[in-house]
Amino acid sequence: MSNAWIQAFLDRHGADPARWPGRERPAAERLITGDRTARAAFEAARRLDATLTRGARIAADNSAAVERIMAKLSGPLPPQRMPLWRLPAVLLDWQFAPAWPRMAALACCAVLGFAIGLSGVDRHIDGQSLTAQQMDLASAVFEPEPLLAGRRP
Amino acid sequence: MDDSDEALMALVAKGDQAAYRKLAGRHLPAMLGLARRILGNAADAEEVVQEAMLRVWTHAPRWRPLARFRTWLTRVVVNLCLDRKRRAPWVALEAAGEIVDPTPGATEISEAGERERLVASAIEGLPARQRTAIVLTYGEGLSNVQVAEILGTTVSAVETLLVRGKQNLRRALGALIDED
Repeated sequence: MSNAWIQAFLDRHGADPARWPGRERPAAERLITGDRTARAAFEAARRLDATLTRGARIAADNSAAVERIMAKLSGPLPPQRMPLWRLPAVLLDWQFAPAWPRMAALACCAVLGFAIGLSGVDRHIDGQSLTAQQMDLASAVFEPEPLLAGRRP
Repeated sequence: MDDSDEALMALVAKGDQAAYRKLAGRHLPAMLGLARRILGNAADAEEVVQEAMLRVWTHAPRWRPLARFRTWLTRVVVNLCLDRKRRAPWVALEAAGEIVDPTPGATEISEAGERERLVASAIEGLPARQRTAIVLTYGEGLSNVQVAEILGTTVSAVETLLVRGKQNLRRALGALIDED
């Protein structure tokens, strides 16, 4: 451990032993107590720390600025950003209460549809008209266009 | 009732404006002081802190209590300050308005004294990241680990910033340090 090391150590961690990392503290303390140059570096670091602490803690009067900011924050605030993981909860939290008559009507329609389908009422259609409909459909699909077949209309 | 920052933040996340204003009132003075020391300008500091507090409101539902609220807020303020120092936009003379004097005002001089003012000016003359590391360490009393967390960097990078910052300050302050 050299004097260059103790200077770098004091610059990294300051002169307060309480802030020194436990792994390096014993070596630093040994050097400071046993070496006059290291002790001088420690004293100089302590003076620098005291000077910087006073210089970095100059308290300006911020009360006017605080009041101005608080006044601005008291106005309407922008919308908050919702996290994506809350989206399912938001969807599940939908309130259907105002729309319940329409929901009831929809449910009745669904039940009626199932009832008609299960009872077979929709299959009792006139057989003849069904055949005619099927023939019309076949002619529309399969009869070739006269122009495409090379015949004059 | 739990009155901690984290409990208030949980209420803010649910849109509680009263809790938000209580939280803002609690941290505004310290954050203004910090921003002012990093930026060296009261008007910029006020804008930055207002922006930071609005971010607290808008991001509250996404905030997770992984770190202390104070650490997170300090990080937001420091990042906004460093962004502002990095951009330092040019503005038209007409739009510039009143020129803000970067030196501390009369109130500050009377409060701090000439010697502390010189030290504050020397700190202000450091490069932005060195200044931020010095202000967080000596002004806020944070450990190197906490400073690294706020600056979003490694502890060894913070130590390098401190070493270089102190070398620069020793040169700038000279005999002023030995007057103690």
